[in-house]
Amino acid sequence: MSWKIWSLKKSPWVFHVNAGACNNCDIEIVNLLTPKFDVERLGIKLVGSPRHADALLVTGVGTRQAVPRLKEVYRQTAKPCVVFLVGACSCGTGIFHEGYHVEGPVDKIIREEDPNAIIAYVPGCPPKPEAMISGIVKALSAL
Amino acid sequence: MSVPLNILFWVVVIPGTVILGLVACWIVRKVSALVQWRVGPPLCQPLYDIMKLMGKEILVPQDAQRTVFMAAPLVGLAGVLLLSMMLWRITVAQTAFIGDIIVAIYLMVLPSLALILGSSASGSPHAAIGTSREMKLVMGYELSLVLAFIVVIIKTGGQLDLATIAQQAPALSISGMLAFLVALLCVQAKLGFVPFDIAEAETEVAGGVLIEYSGALLAVWKVMHAVMLVALPLFLVTVFLGGFGTTGWSLVWGIGKYVLIVVLLILIKNTNPRVRIDQAMKFFWFYCGIALVAAIILATIGSYYGIGWL
Amino acid sequence: MNQEELNNKLSEIKDKLIAVEQPADSRIYLTCEAENSYAVNKFLFEDVPLRFVIATGIDSDDCFEILYHYAYDETGCMVTLKAFIRDRENPAIESIAPFMPAAEWIEREIHDILGIEFKNHPDMRRLILADDWPEGIYPLRKDAKKPVKRPDGEVCSRPIVQSQSPARRTVELSKPVVAVGPFHPLQEEMEFFQLTVDGEIVTDIDMRISYNHRGIEKISESLQFDQVPFLVSRICGICSASHPLAYVQAVEDIAGVQPPERALYVRTIINELERIHSHVLWVGLAGHFIGYDTVFMWAWKYREPVLDLLEEITGNRNNYGNVKVGGCREDIPDELTPKILKELDKIEKKMEMLTKAVLDDPILHARLKGVGILTREAAVDYAVTGPTARGSDVGIDVRRDDPYAAYGALDWNVITQTEGDVFAKAVVRLLETFESIKIVRQALKNLPDGPVTTEVKEIPPGEAVGHAEAPRGETFHYVRSDGGNRPVRHKVRAPSYVNVPSFRASCIGQHIADVTITLAAVDPCYSCTERLAVVDQHKNVIHDYDTLLRLSREKTARIKKEMGAPELKMEDL
Repeated sequence: MSWKIWSLKKSPWVFHVNAGACNNCDIEIVNLLTPKFDVERLGIKLVGSPRHADALLVTGVGTRQAVPRLKEVYRQTAKPCVVFLVGACSCGTGIFHEGYHVEGPVDKIIREEDPNAIIAYVPGCPPKPEAMISGIVKALSAL
Repeated sequence: MSVPLNILFWVVVIPGTVILGLVACWIVRKVSALVQWRVGPPLCQPLYDIMKLMGKEILVPQDAQRTVFMAAPLVGLAGVLLLSMMLWRITVAQTAFIGDIIVAIYLMVLPSLALILGSSASGSPHAAIGTSREMKLVMGYELSLVLAFIVVIIKTGGQLDLATIAQQAPALSISGMLAFLVALLCVQAKLGFVPFDIAEAETEVAGGVLIEYSGALLAVWKVMHAVMLVALPLFLVTVFLGGFGTTGWSLVWGIGKYVLIVVLLILIKNTNPRVRIDQAMKFFWFYCGIALVAAIILATIGSYYGIGWL
Repeated sequence: MNQEELNNKLSEIKDKLIAVEQPADSRIYLTCEAENSYAVNKFLFEDVPLRFVIATGIDSDDCFEILYHYAYDETGCMVTLKAFIRDRENPAIESIAPFMPAAEWIEREIHDILGIEFKNHPDMRRLILADDWPEGIYPLRKDAKKPVKRPDGEVCSRPIVQSQSPARRTVELSKPVVAVGPFHPLQEEMEFFQLTVDGEIVTDIDMRISYNHRGIEKISESLQFDQVPFLVSRICGICSASHPLAYVQAVEDIAGVQPPERALYVRTIINELERIHSHVLWVGLAGHFIGYDTVFMWAWKYREPVLDLLEEITGNRNNYGNVKVGGCREDIPDELTPKILKELDKIEKKMEMLTKAVLDDPILHARLKGVGILTREAAVDYAVTGPTARGSDVGIDVRRDDPYAAYGALDWNVITQTEGDVFAKAVVRLLETFESIKIVRQALKNLPDGPVTTEVKEIPPGEAVGHAEAPRGETFHYVRSDGGNRPVRHKVRAPSYVNVPSFRASCIGQHIADVTITLAAVDPCYSCTERLAVVDQHKNVIHDYDTLLRLSREKTARIKKEMGAPELKMEDL
């Protein structure tokens, strides 16, 4: 294992992108910071700029209006980066599959931008914070 | 100092300073977490962060001035490393002149200057806001800092040589204490800590100023910040508190002085709300200005009549 | 004015109407032609006066219908005015937005989704569809198909009009607003605000939504009646109990079903637990906005036990999926009652400390009082609901006015404050938490025995409105059935839809340092304030969200300094 990957696992900084979600996943993501879950002890940190991020936590279906912004964020993220699709919506548009304003699923949108993107899926509606942490850990150990 | 020791010194000093700085970073993060009833990051977290950033891609914005954008962090890092090297040389090796207080003041401006250069070269409107704030802040505290050192120079009888100044402890007098307190606040601002984290958000090294930096360049900024956490308190120890010893109790005492200053910085950070830029300017120019003028007058009288405690 | 007087009052306008129906005491349906709708609406809004809830646009087979929903809160009566637009080729109707700011957004929305022209509308820009949505495709028309590709792709059935930058109306920018970002570590929803400022004072505010538009109303038409609750609980993660409840009440109204008593109590309990966790969440966020990050961490810590309770009852921390047409899916087992009561005691103690700390804190008084005032008149004009209205002395609460679930049988108070500022809204929310705890306690005590569900055979043709008090205000659902197993039209109005436009009344004239907290004060379905740019008329400086947050925090610090007050200590909480 190269030192790059090893250190990436030790210090994944995440950036949160809402691409048209119901807020559930988003609140649970913010919940990760609070005392009960405190992901800083795992070195996970929410950062304020995609340029600083190693992982994108994408929630939501990818609405027509949000898709260009989502792609822009992906372009701005320094590689290597992992895209975590948090929640049923971003994993496969879920219950909103038929929506006229839905361009998702998000993995398709990200692949359009970069066919080799590393994508991890954390299903659930919403996934529990424990599931998100576990998803992040699993995806990182698979690198 | 013997030759092998000398070599050892040069080998150890840079990595040592960086490691010390990373530990200091960790302390700052851990204390904040504990206040918020969280566990906080592990000891090696800042090191992991730096290593990770080193392995990442560097993105340069299209509108950026490429050369300046890339060079700025290196200039800043070189500045603080040079400063810390000078200080270690004086405190540990205690050799003759390798730089005086004027050089040190110049070197201390370098990080802020580099930050301003780098962020304004990035061409981002958000970084521009951060830049203008940083610039105002530098103009605010730099005058106070220089005045504080003038007090020291007067107290030590016109000495500019850091090694000689380090033999004395000007803080053990009224004027010296005033100057020391002001300098401490200036260091707080230089480090971008609350209440003077105006240009830099606290959670990241800089939310606004560094928004466009990524990968190894961001790592350099982080290292620079970490080294500043070592160099600036150490500088205060050298100038105001009589420096470091190398043996026995004087070494312990020196470490004690360093820890004291770091603790003071963290205390100020955690018990104060953020101030606005105009408040910061007013604070440094007006209140600190008055205090320092008083200190200079006292110090002059003291040295003229030979009264040490003034 | 009681119900009879209301009916008499409504008969004054009878000559402009085609028909008046009153299937139940508290449900009145009026019908009129499009030409008369302006006059009737003006009468309803200004002379009766009724509170405007929302309008629904429907594509019937032979005509378009615009349904104006009103509420008469004194008796809990819902009045629906139906206007028929017979011309299918060029559908048009007089706009009511000139005298009713609350209708501005919904008319823009109906224009987007049905292509109906509103004559004399003050600001007919695109609202909920994406910038690159092709002109001339109206998704809620029955013949609409989803446009297949993005405009930079290939297929598109109509010519594309490039983005008209709807968010930029007032000021021409010399620099573009950064499209993505400014982001913040606490960024939640994608909504875009643009503030126009003169120096430090906000002179105009504009919003761009659509980032989160998923087309739920259309999807709902493709789901069966029993599937829709799962969809609508995903409209908003924090209101995931109130939305399905409002929908289910509408469908039960159509079907004439009365759910069993126990189900009503279970619904009450889940809704009130939701209100508690939502209000505590807001307190934490408000703390973050004014620079008390420790309050943020601690409030969210106190919120966790409520989520644990909800998980134990329904199986999920959010999105409970518990309510269904004719009752509830899951019962609250009796063994759980003591545990819930015990947890409630703990939560109440924590909340008492938190409330005391907030109400007694001189810095918060100075920081929040007189900030972002929404006057009573503005609150009525914008038809705001929930804590936003109650903080402005508009004492409306669906739970009391039109009792549903078990609220009518329980003893609790509606909290109102008169000032209309941010502090008043905070007080309303904090005190409501205690009322909610009271309600849950009573409901658990009086929980009747019996089943929680009845059988519902079929949904007959018909239409009905249902509403419920979500943590942020009134959630309104309109459902129309044609006797099949799917709704033919399902209109949803979330409380933030009327609360958010009131920013125009509360933010203009404010210092920009106060804007974040003013925006956050209506609790705009989590905080929409995350996407926000400020345009300075003179300097063309674009302030980002961080700047505003910083300004907000600095003002707190300044007040703190002026008052010489000590830091808020966690021991006080």
